[in-house]
Order: sequence, then C-alpha cells, then structure tokens
Amino acid sequence: MDNANLMRLGRKAEEQEYTKRRFKFSAFDFTNYIVFIIIALIVILPMWKVIVDSMNSVGVYQFRFWPENFTLDGYRTIFTTRKLFRPFMNSVVTTVAGTFLGLALSTLGGYVLNQYDMPGRSAMSMFLMITMVFTGGMIPEYLVMKQLGLVDSMWILVVKHGINVYNLVLMKNFFEGIPVSLIEAAKIDGCSAMGIFFRIVLPLSKAALASIGLMYAVTIWNDYSTVQIYITNPDQVNFQYMLRVMIMDGDTPTTAYKVSQDTLYYASIICAILPFMVAYPFLQKYFVKGVNAGAVKE
Amino acid sequence: MKRKIVSVILAVSMCTALLAGCGSKSSDGVLGEMEAPEEGTESGDFELDNINIIVDGTLTATVENGQDAFVEQWESAIAEKLGHEVKLNITQLDHSDYSGTVSRTLTTGAPGDEGYPDALIMSATMLRQYQTTGLLWNLKDAYDNAEFQSRLQYPEVNENMETSDGALYGFAPTYGNGCVTYIKQSWLDKAGMKAEDIKTFDDYYDFLKKVSDGKTYGVIAAGYGKVDETPYINYMPEWWQGAYPSFYEKDGAWVDGFTEQATVDALARLNKGYKDGVIDPDTEEAGTKQAREKFFSNDQSTSEGVFTYWAGTWLRTLTDNMAKNDVDNDLGDERLVQLEPIQEIKDTWGGYLNREAPVWVITDDGDGNDAREQAIFDTLFETMLDGDRVQTLWTYGAEGVHWSTEAESFTTNPDDPEKKQDYDYEDGEFHLRPTPNDPNTIWKKNHLDPVLVISPLTNGFTDTDPLIEEGNKFFLANCVDAPAAASSETLTEYLEDLTTVKTTLINQAVVGEITPEEAVEEYKAEFGDISAQIIDELSAE
Amino acid sequence: MSIFGKKPVETLSNGSQVNQKSLKMRIWNNRGFYLMFLPVAIFVLLVYYWPMLGIRYAFYSYKLKNIHWVGMGNFVKLFSEPDFWQSFTNTLELSIIKLLLNTFAAVLISVFLNEMKNMFMKKTIQTIIYLPHFMSYAVVAAIFTLFLSPSSTGFVNETMKEWGFLSSSIDFLHSKSLWRPIFYLINMWKETGWGTVIFLATLSGINPELYEAADIDGATRLQKIMHVTLPALSNTIIVVLILNMAKVLNMFEPVFVLYNSRVYDVSDVISTYVYRKTFLTAIPDYGYSTAVGLFKSVVGCILMLICNQASKKVRGRGIM
Repeated sequence: MDNANLMRLGRKAEEQEYTKRRFKFSAFDFTNYIVFIIIALIVILPMWKVIVDSMNSVGVYQFRFWPENFTLDGYRTIFTTRKLFRPFMNSVVTTVAGTFLGLALSTLGGYVLNQYDMPGRSAMSMFLMITMVFTGGMIPEYLVMKQLGLVDSMWILVVKHGINVYNLVLMKNFFEGIPVSLIEAAKIDGCSAMGIFFRIVLPLSKAALASIGLMYAVTIWNDYSTVQIYITNPDQVNFQYMLRVMIMDGDTPTTAYKVSQDTLYYASIICAILPFMVAYPFLQKYFVKGVNAGAVKE
Repeated sequence: MKRKIVSVILAVSMCTALLAGCGSKSSDGVLGEMEAPEEGTESGDFELDNINIIVDGTLTATVENGQDAFVEQWESAIAEKLGHEVKLNITQLDHSDYSGTVSRTLTTGAPGDEGYPDALIMSATMLRQYQTTGLLWNLKDAYDNAEFQSRLQYPEVNENMETSDGALYGFAPTYGNGCVTYIKQSWLDKAGMKAEDIKTFDDYYDFLKKVSDGKTYGVIAAGYGKVDETPYINYMPEWWQGAYPSFYEKDGAWVDGFTEQATVDALARLNKGYKDGVIDPDTEEAGTKQAREKFFSNDQSTSEGVFTYWAGTWLRTLTDNMAKNDVDNDLGDERLVQLEPIQEIKDTWGGYLNREAPVWVITDDGDGNDAREQAIFDTLFETMLDGDRVQTLWTYGAEGVHWSTEAESFTTNPDDPEKKQDYDYEDGEFHLRPTPNDPNTIWKKNHLDPVLVISPLTNGFTDTDPLIEEGNKFFLANCVDAPAAASSETLTEYLEDLTTVKTTLINQAVVGEITPEEAVEEYKAEFGDISAQIIDELSAE
Repeated sequence: MSIFGKKPVETLSNGSQVNQKSLKMRIWNNRGFYLMFLPVAIFVLLVYYWPMLGIRYAFYSYKLKNIHWVGMGNFVKLFSEPDFWQSFTNTLELSIIKLLLNTFAAVLISVFLNEMKNMFMKKTIQTIIYLPHFMSYAVVAAIFTLFLSPSSTGFVNETMKEWGFLSSSIDFLHSKSLWRPIFYLINMWKETGWGTVIFLATLSGINPELYEAADIDGATRLQKIMHVTLPALSNTIIVVLILNMAKVLNMFEPVFVLYNSRVYDVSDVISTYVYRKTFLTAIPDYGYSTAVGLFKSVVGCILMLICNQASKKVRGRGIM
C-alpha cells in the first residue's frame, strides 16, 4: 500500500505508456492473427472439401470452393437405399434411447451418492469405483453380451453406454452445487426422497442434464468399435460402421441412383457428423461446461 | 481411517457376494454350453420344425433381392414334400470375416439356441479346420444313400472331400469353379493387339505397359496374392505362375510353397509390375468388390485393362455392369475377351486353377443320435438337389420373382434408347426376370450355378445365356484342379499369423520396401520352425 | 477415491447427531435412496461385474467348445510371443507420444489464443477448433484415408504431384516410416482444439493483476507468457498428463481405424492384438485372448493407482 502511494506519480506515466501499448496492434498481434487463421483453415478446409465433394457429381482430387456439377444424389442415395438408411435410423434410435437411459441412471446414482448420512454410501461408491479401474476385457464381455442376447443387436449400444461411472460422478458434482437449504426446506414440507429428486433437484440441473446428455449422445452416435466387435447382422449396424465398411472395405451397396463412388462417400461422411454439426453452435457451451466440470473442478 | 477400512471391506464383500451369486448362475450359463442339450435325445423319428442356416454372399437372393419369396416358396415346397412344415431361418453374413463370425457363433452357442446354425456354408479351408473338432456331423452315410446319387454327374467333387478314414463332413452341391483373365476388347484395340497374340508373360506384360499411363493401369486384383483364401494365386495367375505361397502337396511330399524359389520369382515380377506402373496400387487394399467395381467403373480413365475373375456367370455380370456404366456400349457382349492361360501357366499348373468347392455342413449336437442331423440332411441337402422344384429355388430363385414360366414382356433401360432391350416370353417358356432391386438388369442365378452343380435339374429349366455358356466352356477347357488345402493342428493355430505375415511381406516386397529374397528370408526366420512343424504334421497323416 | 468421499461441510456440522441414530433407523430412513440406486446397481453388475467372472478363462484353453484348465500356460505363451511384446511397446510409445504432442499443442494454442484481444475472433476460432472432436474416429479415418489415398482422386498426392513436390504417389497409410507421423498429426488435428478447453478455463482464472504487475515491470508479451501464463498453467498441464497417463493402455479405436497389415510392426497395440487374436482368427483361443486382456487390465490398474498417488501429491486429491 505504502509503496503504491509513494510511487503513484511515477506509475501515472507508466500507465499511460501501458494503455498505449495495450491498444497498439503490434507485430505480435498480427502474427498471432495470421497463425490462428491458418490453424482455423487447417481445421476447416478438410471439412469444407468433404462438404463440397459430397455435392459434386464427379470425384475430383482438387480443392473446390463450390461444387462444379451440383447434385444431391449422394444424399438421396443414402436416404433411399435400405442398406444405408437403416443404419442411419439405427444410429438415431440407439442414440436417443441410450442418452435417456444414461441420463436416468447417472442422475439416480449421482443423487444417491450425495446422501452422506446414508449407511453403505462408501461401499456403494467403491462398488462403482472398481469398474473404472478394472474391467473384464473383450472376451468376457463378449460372452456376457452373448448370454444377454445382445450380440448382433443394436441395443448393445444402449446397454453398453447406458451407464458411465465417470458421467455419474460429474452428475454428482453438479448436484453438490445445489444449495442444501432448498432441500432442507423441501424435507420440512414433507417431501420424500423421490419427491425432492424430481421436484427440486432435476429442475435445477437442466444445464447439467444438457451437458451430460450430450456427452452420452456423442459417445453413442460416434461408437464404431462396439458395432465392429458385436454386430454382424447388416440390419443392426449403425451408421458409423456402415460408413467405415463402405469406405475402407469398398463395400458400396447397389443403389438406385447413378452416383459416383466419391460423392456417395463424402455424402455419407456428412451424414455421419451432421446431427452434431447442426446442433453444435447452439450447444457448444454445454459441451464445454461438461468437460470443465469433469477436469477443472478443484 | 476406520470408516475407510470398513467401507473397503463392505465393498469387497458386496462384490464377492454378487460374484458368487452370478457365479452359480453362470456355471450353468456360459460353461453350461459344454453339456449336451436336451433336445434330440429321444430316439427314432425326429421331426424338424425349424432350420437355421448361415450363408455367405453366394446366396444371391439377399434380403433386398427377394429372399422373403425364396424362403416362403422353399417352406411350402418342403411342407408338400415332407408332409410337415419346416421354418427356414437364414442368417446371411458379409463375405469379409465370414470365418471369424462363424467361429464365434459356433463357440458361444449350442444347438437349439436361437441363431445357432443347423447347417452352414464353409470354404474348403474352413471344412478342414472344423472336421476334426467334433462340431460337424459325418454325413458320409446320408450322402451315400441320398436319392440324388442316381443323377450325379460329378461324383469326384465330394469324394475328394473325404478324410483319410473315409468320413465326409461337408457336402458340395457344385464343383469349385475358378478364375480366368478378362481383357477389355477396347483396350486391346487401343494397344493394337489381339488376345491371341498374348501367349507368354512377356506378351502379357507388353500389353499392360502399352495401356498404363500412371492414371490408368494394366491390371487390378483383390490383393497381390490373396493368402487368406484358397487357391491364393487365382486372382493374379500370370504373375504367380507356378508359385503357390502356402503348404501344398508336390510330387507326393508336402512343401511350404512360400519358401520356394518360384515365390521369390513371382514377387520379383510383381515388384517390377508395380514399379513400372502396370499394376494398380489399389490392388493392395482392394476387396473383390472394390476391384471389380473399379474395373467396370464409369470412369474408365482411372480403370484397368485386365482383371482376373470368376469364370462363367461372372463374364455375364461383368459385361452387364460395364453396360450399366456405359462402358464400350458399341462392343456389346464382345466387351471382354477371355485370355487363354499364358504359356508359363500351362507349363506349371497346366491351366487356370479350379478351386476346391465350398461345402455345406451340418452341426452335430453330440448326443450320439443321428436323428436330428439326418433330418437336417433330408430337409435341406436332399431337397436341394431334387432336380425339380426345390433345386430350382436354389438355382434360379423364387418363381414369379426371379423367374417365371408365364407369358410376359418387359423392357430394361426403357429410358435409354441405346441400351433399351425388350424381352418377350410366351406362356410356358422358362425365363429369368428383372433383378428385384435393379430392374434394368436381368437376374442370373441364385445359390447353385446350373452349370457347376453335381446333379442337374431335370425339369428342363435352363437359362441359355450364350455368354455364360461360353464362359463355362472356356473355363472347363482351360482348368486344372487346385492343390488340396492343407490342414494340421499347428497350421490352424498359426493360420492367422501366417496369413498376416505373408500378406505383409508380399505387400512390402511388391512395393519394393524389401527385396523378394528378404521377404522369404524374413518369413523363414520368423516362422521357419512352425513351418517345419506343420510339414511334419502334414506328412505324418 | 475422493470424488465420492468428499463430505460437504453442511453435513459435517451435524454429523455427530447423525451418528447417534441407530443404524437400523438410518437404513430405514434412506430406503428411498436404496431403491433409487437399484437400477444403477443392476446395470453396473450386468455390464461391468458379470464379465469379470469370465476372467477365469485366462487360465483355461478355450477353443470352440473345448474348455480345459491350463494354469499359467496362456501367460507363458504370452510372454514368449514377440508379437505381443511388440504390441505392448507400441501401445506405450503411441499413446505417450500422442498424449505429449496433443498436450503440448493444446498448451501452445491456448497461450496464444489467450493473447487474442478481439473476443469475436477468439470465440470463432474456439468454435472452429473444437469441431473435429465431435467427429468419430471412423469419420476422421474415412476423411483422411480418402485424402491420403494414392488413387487418382487422392487430394494430397495429386496436389503434390501437380505442384511438382512428388513424382509418383506415396501410399502414406501403408508406409512404415510415415504411418506414425500421420497418426500423430491426425490425432492432433482431431483433439488439439478440444484439449485447449481446460487450459483456457485455467487461463481465464488468472488474476489480471499479475499481468498488470508484469506490465509495470516493463515485461514484453513473450516475457509475460513465460513468467505469468505458463507458470499458471503448469499445474493444469501436470494434472492433464496424469489423468491421461492412467489410460494409456486402453487405446483401441484411433489405431484400429487407421492401421493395416503392412504397418502392424509400428502400429499394432494391445487392444488391436487382442481383437485380431479373437475375432479374425479362424479358430481363436478365447483363453489366450482373455489372458492378454487380463494382463492389460492389471498393468492398467497399477498405472491408475500410481497416477492416483501422483495426483494426490500434485493437487491434493486423487483422480478417482
């Protein structure tokens, strides 16, 4: 304090200097902008090429800003060919179902684990913890899923992702932020445990539900390896798998439209990322919130 | 601290309790599969009411292509024949990883389970791997007493399948067929050559060089050598010539063909072809479908002039697909020329290789009673070659969907005056109809190829496509039987490793990362002992 | 185990009262919560615990329906298998280098993005660089396989040929020497942007006075970055590294979608090895694959515990 007072005069001059420097568009800023524009281009140009080529009727290697021979046949093919459309719908159905199941189980589990005076709470959390450290492995899991009748069924995606202990922990952390006073007040009003959960806790956690719901949705929609391991029936695969099989194994289905192979490939890539690309600008803050809640929380 | 210890103990006990609970459950679950199932133990007559089969892509009546009608007509024909209803459940798997999927299904299921096959298709290699496992039923007696024996025209096909002690675990309804080399006539014209001029590898190479320019390539195939599928070399026979990159019986003794000088020479040829840009580099990754689609693609500037593929029906299919993509429309059915085996092939094998036929097998439930298995044989295999109604279903597909004998007329490509074709049939005239999911192409066949089948149709239904007939005739005139697939315990165990290492080494040698000699040396260094052990086992048989 | 164990202050204050109630009473009072936990418990049992029983197969030979006890046989085979050791070292190399590169790039970008004063620009760039994270590995692999393809529609090869950098196409993803660099680059493309989220959050928490003080001392931009920004990030960097270090053995999809038989030597990881041994083998030995999986789980478990301890040292709480 004393120092500051003493040096006030001297600082005044410096502050003016500081202000000047702060608003000067320096060489550093310039380079910084250029570099970041380049970085943004590196990210966006591949995607742009995919979008353009998905609407270009002939496959070309060159980069184009706009399709030369515009066509939507690639997309039409996907939505009229059973072998492609069916996986797309499977993806939609499993993602929706899995997200709901995941949200239901993580909110329930997260809420219960917040009950600190509940006997056995530690054992219950240990019971969940162990699964994060130790797993059965690929074969034992396969054998169990076979027993459950989930091999060769798209519902495996729902069951396998239906409970994610990490997301459950995030949910618990969100709940912890809810003021205890609100819950106490409800208790005094005679609300049951369930009542508090549905009437107080859930309505207050909309943002958390959005964040964690999105995390489930992205995981399930994007899951390719589960399908690769568990599903061979072409009627049960999801779109990611179909895309992969089509592009990597060259297994293009017979289609009604005469569409160039590349056009179909690129259109499929777009369909495989479409739901999140569309929703992304609106939901970005929830995504970010989710990851921060998990990692930054100190 | 105390709390923590208590909670750990609680958690552990909770888990153990649960594990114990599940343990007792699972011991009659997962492990319980080892026990013999209940059904089928009653002796005497066994009435089959359900039959599960696993098939690959060779059942061309796929779900999109009228499988429902096929199943329905099969069921009604069987009900009429046997006097009781049998439900047919078809599981059709992708060609890629067929054997892996089958092994998983057989390992994790048991006869009677939903999805466990009663009968399924296996390649010759798979048959040899499974016939010693006890999972398959010895159908020798059933086969010998089958009604179709009287009509058999190729008895040797199944005789070749018998094990050394006379058991027969697989039933081949057709002979194997093989690949011949097709050349695009237009590309020959462009190079100023005739197919008859190509007599030796040098002529062949000369042609490839003339048509390759860095964007177009001389030849494409599904892999430089397809070491995961017998007879391995049949997609690039001109390059492999007498080499055989696997175990085979040579002059009465088993050898590992991959270590032979012929393989080194073949790799050197392929390497040269790759370097000179006459082999499409997509060959390395291409599956059969990708390769053939590139061959008849509508963009011929990135295509190839030569493609070795299955004989007979595929000559028609390739031609039709070229027509569909507007390739060489002026040449019509003359688009593709079949190349006679070059001199080097004639000198070594004697002709194109006729692969060992794929087979149908029946799963054994292990109860020591043959009633169930015999019933499956009678219901499925016996009828498949009845020469009449059911065989027609397997050969051409469903009546009214894939084929018909009623008077009708239809037009393919009605909107394209150049390709438009009218078909007109009178009542009682057997004919194939347009393909269900592609009305501009005429249906060809279902699972059985009428020309390859071991006992012919007797109802006179023949599809006289001159091109297919010509293709089959050409193949029969130019083929020899491929070496029998090897099978030994060690080979089965290391098959995947051997396939991987060979594929890798072949690919590396072809693109020039290593020399052919190094490839073979590396193989010997890594798998020499195992190879020797396999040869010992094979020779001991 | 502190995420679960941390007890909020509110309950601590009346903790003594709670403990005085009888255990029976407390259980009865919480009956609603037990009921709510039941579905979670059932799912966890089915999906996580039941498979653990199958670990016993690691001590069996399990081919088709023939299951018999082999004791440590599978492990003896495993440890003498060069392919397994190769996959083990590959796993460590690939995931650790990938982790370091991604973290390094994310820190670098965060630091410089933090220097950007135009908020609109900053937000736009953030939005863009987060995008690839939401694509699946299957999609990313599809895009880059098409771009890097040596065929005539391969963007990279054809463009480089046109510009005269190349005389003939390179088969990038099939080249032993190029596969790893490409693998790292593709992963950086996909994950670097998203990796910045956590660092930017830390940076937004830095006290602005620190920068002002540095300004007063006449520090240049770079000096401020070196002496204010980076030290503020160091703790977060360590946390990120520790958190991810525990998971290094789990890598499957990023490799699986990009690798091929020609580059097994440099790309095969434990999970892909197990996958091939189990699903692509004519007659697989499930016992052996289970043993490989068990080995991976145990090493992974040990890594997790080490990282947990490290995390406790660095930031006072574990990662679990």
